[in-house]
Amino acid sequence: MNRMMISFMLNGRRIETSVAPKTTLVELLREHLGMTGTKHACDSGACGSCTVSVGGRTVNSCSVLAVQIDGMEVGTVEGLAEGPDLHPLQEAFLDHGGLQCGFCTPGMLMSARDLLRRNPSPSAQEAREAIAGNICRCTGYVKIVESILAAAGKMREKK
Amino acid sequence: MEYSVLGKKVRRVDGAAKVTGQAKYTVDMALPGMLAGKLLRSPHPHARIVSIDASAAKALPGVAAVITAEDTLKLTFGNWRRYPHLLDEHPLAPDKVRFIGDEIAAVAAADEDTAEEALTLIEVEYEILPAVFDPVEAMQDGAPQIHTGPNVRNNVSETRHIEFGDVDAAFRACDRIREDDFSLHAVSHAAMEPHASLAQTDTDGRLTIWTSTQVPYYVQILLAHTLGMPEGKIRVIRPHVGGGWGGKIELFKDQYCAARLSQITGKPVKIVYTREEEFSCTRRRTPMKYHLKTGYMKDGTLVAKEARAVLDGGAYNAMGPTALYLTGFFQMFPYDIPNYRYDGFHVYTNKNPSSAMRGFGGPQAEFTCDSQLDMIAADLGMDPAELRLRNLMKPGHEIKGYCKVASCGIEECIRKAMKSTGWKKKRGNLQFGRGIGMGCYGFMSGGVFNWINTPYAFSAAMIRMSVDGFAEVYVGSAEIGQGSDTVMAQIAAETLGIPMDMIRVTSGDTAVCPPDLGAWGSRQTLMTGNAVKMAAEDVKKQVLEAASGMMEQNIVYSYDMRDGKVFVKERPDRTIPYQDAVKAAVRARGGLQIVGRGLYTPHGKGMVSPAFSFGAQVSEVDVDVETGKVSMVNVTTAHDCGQVINELGVEGQLEGAFVMGQGYVLSENLATDDGKVLNPSFVDYKVMRAPDVPLNFTSLMVETYEPEGPYGAKEAGEGLTNPNAGCIANAIYDAVGVRIYDMPITPEKILAALEEKKAAAGKKKPGKKPAARKPRKPARPAKKTRK
Amino acid sequence: MKDFEYIRARSVDHALEVLAEKGESAVKIAGGQSLLNILKQGLMAPDCLVDIKGLEELDFIESNPGTGFRIGALTTHASILDSEVLQSSCGVLASMERHLATVQVRNWGTIGGNLCMADPSSDAAPVLIALGSTAHIRGPEGAREVPLGEFFLGYYETVVQPGELLTEISFPAIPPATGVSYEKFRNVEGDAPIVVSSAFVSLEKDGRTLSDARVVLGGVASTPVRATAVEDALKGVKLTPAAVESASGLVAESTSPIPDVVCSAEYRNKIARVLAKRTLLSAFEEAKAAVGGKKHR
Repeated sequence: MNRMMISFMLNGRRIETSVAPKTTLVELLREHLGMTGTKHACDSGACGSCTVSVGGRTVNSCSVLAVQIDGMEVGTVEGLAEGPDLHPLQEAFLDHGGLQCGFCTPGMLMSARDLLRRNPSPSAQEAREAIAGNICRCTGYVKIVESILAAAGKMREKK
Repeated sequence: MEYSVLGKKVRRVDGAAKVTGQAKYTVDMALPGMLAGKLLRSPHPHARIVSIDASAAKALPGVAAVITAEDTLKLTFGNWRRYPHLLDEHPLAPDKVRFIGDEIAAVAAADEDTAEEALTLIEVEYEILPAVFDPVEAMQDGAPQIHTGPNVRNNVSETRHIEFGDVDAAFRACDRIREDDFSLHAVSHAAMEPHASLAQTDTDGRLTIWTSTQVPYYVQILLAHTLGMPEGKIRVIRPHVGGGWGGKIELFKDQYCAARLSQITGKPVKIVYTREEEFSCTRRRTPMKYHLKTGYMKDGTLVAKEARAVLDGGAYNAMGPTALYLTGFFQMFPYDIPNYRYDGFHVYTNKNPSSAMRGFGGPQAEFTCDSQLDMIAADLGMDPAELRLRNLMKPGHEIKGYCKVASCGIEECIRKAMKSTGWKKKRGNLQFGRGIGMGCYGFMSGGVFNWINTPYAFSAAMIRMSVDGFAEVYVGSAEIGQGSDTVMAQIAAETLGIPMDMIRVTSGDTAVCPPDLGAWGSRQTLMTGNAVKMAAEDVKKQVLEAASGMMEQNIVYSYDMRDGKVFVKERPDRTIPYQDAVKAAVRARGGLQIVGRGLYTPHGKGMVSPAFSFGAQVSEVDVDVETGKVSMVNVTTAHDCGQVINELGVEGQLEGAFVMGQGYVLSENLATDDGKVLNPSFVDYKVMRAPDVPLNFTSLMVETYEPEGPYGAKEAGEGLTNPNAGCIANAIYDAVGVRIYDMPITPEKILAALEEKKAAAGKKKPGKKPAARKPRKPARPAKKTRK
Repeated sequence: MKDFEYIRARSVDHALEVLAEKGESAVKIAGGQSLLNILKQGLMAPDCLVDIKGLEELDFIESNPGTGFRIGALTTHASILDSEVLQSSCGVLASMERHLATVQVRNWGTIGGNLCMADPSSDAAPVLIALGSTAHIRGPEGAREVPLGEFFLGYYETVVQPGELLTEISFPAIPPATGVSYEKFRNVEGDAPIVVSSAFVSLEKDGRTLSDARVVLGGVASTPVRATAVEDALKGVKLTPAAVESASGLVAESTSPIPDVVCSAEYRNKIARVLAKRTLLSAFEEAKAAVGGKKHR
């Protein structure tokens, strides 16, 4: 099997590794690098569980080949907290019940952060649309949207 | 009484691990030297296995083992240990396959690709048999016989009959009778985490399996049965679980095959189902055909009801026979109907098995019940809410031989929901295209069913208290996302009077935790919660005994714990830190740690459940009259779950149940053609997404006190799946005046019904809501389409 | 998924060289948002994947008031959505992109990839056809241009040959007295559309009479289709809601839907009729506003 060397930044740390061209980014993260925070649920780009950021924007990591992110910056849920302090989104999800089984949560948090980076004061409708690519089977999304709006408020206060 | 942690909005105890990505699910786990397992499945809906040749697969480099039925004990298994005639499934098919996806063989190989390739090298010769996909056809003479056996006739695997009162006499005496036919479709649990197992066999033959399950104890005893091992040699560990909803309450083939392959290879074996396997080869909600006949008086009093349900059970019983019973039982909830008769038929078809799914027969029942009640109300010119109020169960309601309803807040639920939504003003008065509808339900708080035939208590708990005051709570319950670990921590904290962060809950490890029947039928809060409360009281008693020795108070005084202190009840200012009492207790008994134990089993609680929850739901919808598309505007739900334990958890469960139910009504449909699932992916199987759910969702808590529950608590979160279909169907009727009898209620069906109505009205303007004085014929099912 | 050789193209010329060398065994990948699913299902199993996603020379949005717009084939949906110049002078494209698939797909998927996949219910194709777009294709023989309306040959099939690349899409600036609109129908948000319609309406100076119209439908045939019968019925007609309603009844003359697990063929036609009507009416309103001198788009 042919393998290719790739080099990329993962949560601020440089990774150099070899992968088979057919390896998807989610497989690289979970199976080769042991970064299992990112979940793999549908393998068809439909559920958003594997959402990570690439080059500052979110993607479904099951729908991107690992070789395609050579030279880019990748962010996962493991990089969301800064040191011991949880990200305001993580705090808000805990305080507002934005998670239950937790399987969609890493992807949901990544989508929410992508939204708040682009739009620090989203409306409820904008928050709903921003997570339309993330399926949650537990919460009915109500408390996820609440959590995102609460985090946005906290983050605005901080600034 | 003012509680310190009960009834509050508390963070989940597993939340921090989940928001940081640290929480490990079975799919995340790996062991050194682990092999990848894959299953070979039948491509045919019904066939005899003539021969299997796995030699080429075994010879493939990287393949460690291939198993077929020959490598198994060829035993049937299932949760029906008390009713062996219902056991109809083998770990691997020995002679016949009965649905597309039926498991035939399993491979363990160095990696998934090799395992996949090996599957293609297994040669199976089939003799194709005629297949049957419709349950009514399957019941006819001459239909292909899917199972044979003394208890199966014309594919009917089980029948259930419920009857009380004098139904025939009541029908003769009533003013009016309405009869309707309904059909309900299949949907998938579609949990985000697929079924997954990692099994390891040690050199001494002991087996450890990490698996995504709602029932660790069932998996333990059913693995023991199918592998021919003592239960004690099997340890089942349930890591974090990414959702269940009834889809993981049985022993599954990934579990058996991972275990068997690890025995044979001596290596850890991991099997994770693909999303396609999840949709095509696991379980689904039971499709049903319902005939409903209700007799009533002109004043709206319901006097008699007769229901007949034919269930499309799929290829195996799975937990279908319980859905068969519960759909008949919950058909009457939450109403006081003095004369009732139900006949249900569970029928085999060559499709993937139907089984338990959130509501467990309830959603099907309530769709038919709520739809018909609104038709009756229209017939009588009554407000459907008034019709419901007139016929409600009351606290203390008893159905002799079946159940007693102690706490029952349904009336308050309806009144609160009506008030909150402005029901009286809105119903019948909204502009054409917008409508409001109601649905009601009652549901169980754990089943009294002991099909698994355990000699253990249904739930048990053990609490160890350390000298630094930390309490370790061990329960066999299954945290699957519903929040049960948090509820157990709250109950322990409240009972012990110590902060929640002094509690750690360890659940779902059969080697460590006492047996528990697991997470199904909304049983954890009531049953495991009672066991935890009892164990905590046991611990507290020991601590207080030591404290009384230390505090040397007047013997007439008594002691309790609160806010981390032991205090004298009659002199609350006299306190000591409880840790001091714990230390004293340990010293006094030679170093023995304080351990408390508790258990719960329902006794004398009838045939169904020790307690029932209730609720009313009101939905407001918009119907696009040109396309038939339904949009949710507002949803209000009022739920009686007894004492609320974690308000955040209850609200989250209600919202989630509603949205899952919304998908059941409006978009989800596990479609099959000749037994083949047509949409086995999240691309094609349509679950609700964030922008689809109502912007305004109001949860109203109706707190009652349930004497059988811990601190008066009972079910929350499963029952609310039940009323959605009827509630939304009724809102659609209020909006545009059409009634859909076959689920799901797609835009296409609504549009067809609107056109039919327009054609029937002829020259008449499409006026709103013609009074339905006469029983209407069911709408014709939409044309079947083939891909 | 079968193993394959992966070659990252350094330039369009390099991509064409590699494609020429590898012949039919090679497949191009841009965002791969649909292609990877096809490879995972084994519906295609190429020996070589030529990755063109990183070609910056094909990632651009250009606007020239005289000649119109050019969008590089490898521009992501997100870039189109975020483009201020498109938002201000071709709002319909932004409104299409706003609800195309999901954020994640828009961030990585490209407009060229979307068109070359040729999914018959693609969001993008009907709008771009309605805007009068041209597909620019480069191959070993040089460059060629194909009207986007002739770009699609059938289910998942376009005029782009294995050795060729779609390099850009161009379309003229929206003429005066014209409105362009877009609407799609789906039962669940975030989901692929069931039917898509885009309408282009130009009016005479009277602000009522239709001078030119394009109605393009997706999801009702193996390719996006022009509802020519509808267009013809309205040409030279003074537009009224009734006239539009009646003309929209002719959509079925241009469609050939097939039933599937989502809905019946008849239902697709019904929805096509409703969407044709709605998009015509909103394009009409926009065109009227343009005639009235108000800023449109």
